[in-house]
Amino acid sequence: MKRLLLIAAALLAACSPPPDDPSRTEITLMRFFGSCESKFGAVNDVRQGVGECGIVTTLVNEFNATNGEGIVVRTQIGEWGPYYDQLTARLVAKDVPTVAVMHESALGDYVRRKLVRPLHEDFARIGIPVDDFTEHARRGVSFGGKVHALPFDTWAWLWHLNTGLFKQAGLVQGGRAKLPGSPEELIAQAEQFKRRTGKPYFAWAVANETAANFRSFLTLVAQQGAPLFSSDGKSIDMRQPAVMKALTLMQRLYAEGHVKPHLDYAAANQAFLNGEAGVLLVGTWTLDQFLREADKPGSALAGGYEVVPFPQLYAKKAVFADGHAWALFEGGAKTERHHQAALRFLKFVWSRSGEWARTGHLPVSRQVADSAAFKQLPMRAGLTEITETGVGMPGNVPTQRAIELLIGEDVANLMLSNKPVAEVQANVEKRVNTALKKARR
Amino acid sequence: MNPLLRRGWFDRLLMAGLCLLALAWMLPLLWVLALSFKPNEFLMARTDVFLAPPYTLDNYLDILGTSAVFRWLGNSALVALLQTAGVLVLSSLAGYGFARCEFPGRRWLFAFVLFGLAVPAQSVFIPLHHQFTSWGLQNTHAGLILPGLAAPFGVYLMTQYFKAIPLELEEAALLDNASRLKTFVRVILPLSLPAQATLGIFTFLACWNDYLWPLVIATQPDMYTLTRGLASTQTNFAQSEGLGFLMAQAVFAGAPVLLLYLFFQKHLVSAVSSR
Repeated sequence: MKRLLLIAAALLAACSPPPDDPSRTEITLMRFFGSCESKFGAVNDVRQGVGECGIVTTLVNEFNATNGEGIVVRTQIGEWGPYYDQLTARLVAKDVPTVAVMHESALGDYVRRKLVRPLHEDFARIGIPVDDFTEHARRGVSFGGKVHALPFDTWAWLWHLNTGLFKQAGLVQGGRAKLPGSPEELIAQAEQFKRRTGKPYFAWAVANETAANFRSFLTLVAQQGAPLFSSDGKSIDMRQPAVMKALTLMQRLYAEGHVKPHLDYAAANQAFLNGEAGVLLVGTWTLDQFLREADKPGSALAGGYEVVPFPQLYAKKAVFADGHAWALFEGGAKTERHHQAALRFLKFVWSRSGEWARTGHLPVSRQVADSAAFKQLPMRAGLTEITETGVGMPGNVPTQRAIELLIGEDVANLMLSNKPVAEVQANVEKRVNTALKKARR
Repeated sequence: MNPLLRRGWFDRLLMAGLCLLALAWMLPLLWVLALSFKPNEFLMARTDVFLAPPYTLDNYLDILGTSAVFRWLGNSALVALLQTAGVLVLSSLAGYGFARCEFPGRRWLFAFVLFGLAVPAQSVFIPLHHQFTSWGLQNTHAGLILPGLAAPFGVYLMTQYFKAIPLELEEAALLDNASRLKTFVRVILPLSLPAQATLGIFTFLACWNDYLWPLVIATQPDMYTLTRGLASTQTNFAQSEGLGFLMAQAVFAGAPVLLLYLFFQKHLVSAVSSR
């Protein structure tokens, strides 16, 4: 019996966690961006990272290898699609990560529930200059006048152009693709493009996709200076003329064959890479990949690729933009030492924010955006304006990702099944206002 | 014409038709296999290729290069095996009780169990998660296994199967002084092996392929199952930028089940067809 008790005690001791080592502070970091451990798991220099996954992996590796304070950041990767379901499940289960990446459009919901720690004072103390945040980035992470996360990037809705096809269509001015300046010009250009090349102007993910439709729609409405949501964020107004104009334009482009039909996200990318359309509407994140494609001899983009912000078709410059940010959660740091370690990590991330811009995402630091190093990256100079002209849903609109889905679904119906504009307006207004009402209960 | 010959042609045509249908069914699987050996960059532009180059093993090497992948494989195997064993034991006992034992409220209780079939698992997801986290079972094997043990389909299947076994066999054993438990274990259970095998296969596959429950109950990488872990390694736009990797993941996750099938094919087929 004594022996049995001894064995049980030994097993219990083996299973219990090791004693806290004061020279080592382990914090957890939850993120998406995938895993590339086999390629970059042992690389400790962020400058050698390539792509979102490669750069974020080497960024953490470099911090772990160089911080000199015994801080270890343990990465916990979540899948992109259900990322927030998993994050919420962790918060409910009190299995809270110390640091987590978030979309700025999702951050507000967590801030309103008081789950995210305000960081304004911490940033001032450790020397992260909030004044250096770009306008879009600062708006994205600020709630109630306080900064609640460290912005990581701004990503936006771009026009990726096959300039070879634009030349063939006679739509070139001064050696660059000639872009439309109004909806009428856009239709005229699209008609000319189709006549001369036999191909549609746009490749654009319509099927099995809601985000792309929403982002184009919001851009077109914002360019007309029309507020889609009430100032208190409690309702949407879909009956205004700006909404009707935006929806009518989108429906017309699709119905007249200027958008390659029935494409999902992957098929739209494929169509563009195979030279089957002149313009691909997609975000900043594909820039790096398309540049590599344009360098390949024989590729449909070889020597003929350009990227620009969504062109100004109405009264003002505006383009849909969102951003990634790093947030610290209430209960995520076990002790003050862990909290300080997380802040130390954020400061390191801020100091390397120029490296992340290599992914194609836009910088969140004015200093980086103005730097020669950033401007020397291909095609970036023309995109910097988005850090000022980028728009998203106002921060006081709750459950933004669900609202995005509701709007995107009906805009897809508008194009795919030619649903009448008035029906789309009424349906979106009803569904979104119901969702907003529920979110505020 | 000889009727036999005519029948032969018909059979041949039927066989050809069945082969075509089988091929159509297998085509997406073969396509997945073919794409898993293509570079991701190549697949961004073209996915209509089967055998033509380029080829690469990088997608599989990337999976194997993820240090936790064998731990996830082990977690999946442990969870699927224990859950299958648990479901078989509980469903058999409950099914036997409903089929053979008289007790007050039996019909109502059986109807209540059947009602479980009509309730979608997703509808009880949030309370279930609350319950398990409040018991401290987040990120534990028990948290992954226990919810699956409530298997109304298993109880229903075993009840119906036990009802079909002639009562006389049991009565003969009872006359020979066998206890109720002994009769169940020595007489009834061996006769129910085909149903046990069917239920076991369904339970194992459902558990092996489950993604939704592990997504919320296993939030530490050490506790991920294979489906959950592999999904976590995907890039944000895996369907376009990492398609080869995505396909390799599908093959890798399906391979253990396929291997099991190849080894136990004879037993599994005979179990399902009750031969």
